[in-house]
Amino acid sequence: MALTSTLMLAGIEKTLNALLSRDPAAPARLSALAGSRILLRLESPSCALVLAYHAQGIDLLQIKDIDDIEEADFDAIVELDAETLGALVSGEEMERLMFSGRLAVRGKVHLLEATRDLILDLDLDWEAQLASWLGDVPAHQLAEGLRGLARWGLRTQHELRADVSEYVFEEARLLPGRHQFEALRDALTDLELATDRTEARLARLQRLLSTEAERS
Amino acid sequence: MDKRTTHFGYQDVPVEEKAARVADVFHSVASRYDLMNDLMSFGIHRLWKRITLERAGVRPGHKVLDIAGGTGDLALKFSRLVGPEGKVVLADINASMLGVGRDKLIDHGVGGNVEFVQANAECLPFPDNTFDCITIAFGLRNVTDKDKALASMARILKPGGRLLVLEFSKPSNPLLTKAYDEYSFRLLPKMGELVAGDSESYRYLAESIRMHPDQKTLKGMMENAGLERVEYTNLTGGIVALHRGIKL
Repeated sequence: MALTSTLMLAGIEKTLNALLSRDPAAPARLSALAGSRILLRLESPSCALVLAYHAQGIDLLQIKDIDDIEEADFDAIVELDAETLGALVSGEEMERLMFSGRLAVRGKVHLLEATRDLILDLDLDWEAQLASWLGDVPAHQLAEGLRGLARWGLRTQHELRADVSEYVFEEARLLPGRHQFEALRDALTDLELATDRTEARLARLQRLLSTEAERS
Repeated sequence: MDKRTTHFGYQDVPVEEKAARVADVFHSVASRYDLMNDLMSFGIHRLWKRITLERAGVRPGHKVLDIAGGTGDLALKFSRLVGPEGKVVLADINASMLGVGRDKLIDHGVGGNVEFVQANAECLPFPDNTFDCITIAFGLRNVTDKDKALASMARILKPGGRLLVLEFSKPSNPLLTKAYDEYSFRLLPKMGELVAGDSESYRYLAESIRMHPDQKTLKGMMENAGLERVEYTNLTGGIVALHRGIKL
């Protein structure tokens, strides 16, 4: 178990550092952050991680022994859960997460922002990397081919989605379309209101009848 | 065992000869030490060392001694963790290993806060109460007098400092032990022959692991050396154990 979490962390660290080494803008950003240390306290799963910046990348360490943590040694202490970490990495605004109480940061808040920007703004020059292995012309041709393939993939995905939608909703009528669904929902709401009104009238009639019966 | 002899793998050799014999082994494998470690352990030795780093509790400004530091895997990470105010000393008895480690650290841009010392673990050349943390990874079994080495380490640790010993140990599962023996005595020397051109050094490696004290014995030895709160963690079914003790 100890090896599994360590392996995962080592994998993340290696991947991050490999990506950073391929980003032409990373060295300048890393040199500004070098020497900074962030303590990341995750609530679920409960663990403490250290992000230590150096000129070539990031070191990630898991701290298992609480006695080993001295908050004064860190430039920033971040407390969050796995869901918030996912939201943070996927680009959700830090301020919103902080004001909603899902993210707590003590110390230099800008370090967390800089960390997120470093990861989100990764601009990998794949073509240059390919060129170092294959040469400029073959690398450019291969990169153009890959870009074309990616464009074709996106277009095909959109077309496939539209075709499937048309077949399911219009041709085979296997599912109701959005407009049909909304019309049905409105009709059901009207029916519910009408039923309520009828029920109320019946109750009033019952009361009147019972009052008449008592008088006679 | 004769008083004037000690183990060198499965052989009994005169005490004064062991250091020279161990030195020959490491002179022979130094240039391909990292490659062989990766091949032999399928890369898992890097994870064992990572766990050692995580348990070391090293902070900025600390002084760290990495004994038998070999090719500098731990020292490289420690140098970043202690920062410019801290200091890391990479010590090894073997000049070839120390040279490989120094070149590797320089290649990684490490310099200012790392020192290199050729030293025998049995008589470490440092004043009392010097280091916040001492590590010895896959080195203790090669030391001739382990009790003397542990006492020397305890002497130079600061009060509150930690000693971490990462070393091959005894697997707890009999099936794993059998598979491990087959691997160590049949496959390992052949791999050594193919990659490093030296099967005898790797045969010594397998034999020295079997002659090394098991987890509980080593724990007792660390306690005898004056360390407190000694605990150990088995890694990969006990093939390797990480012992940690604190000087109070």
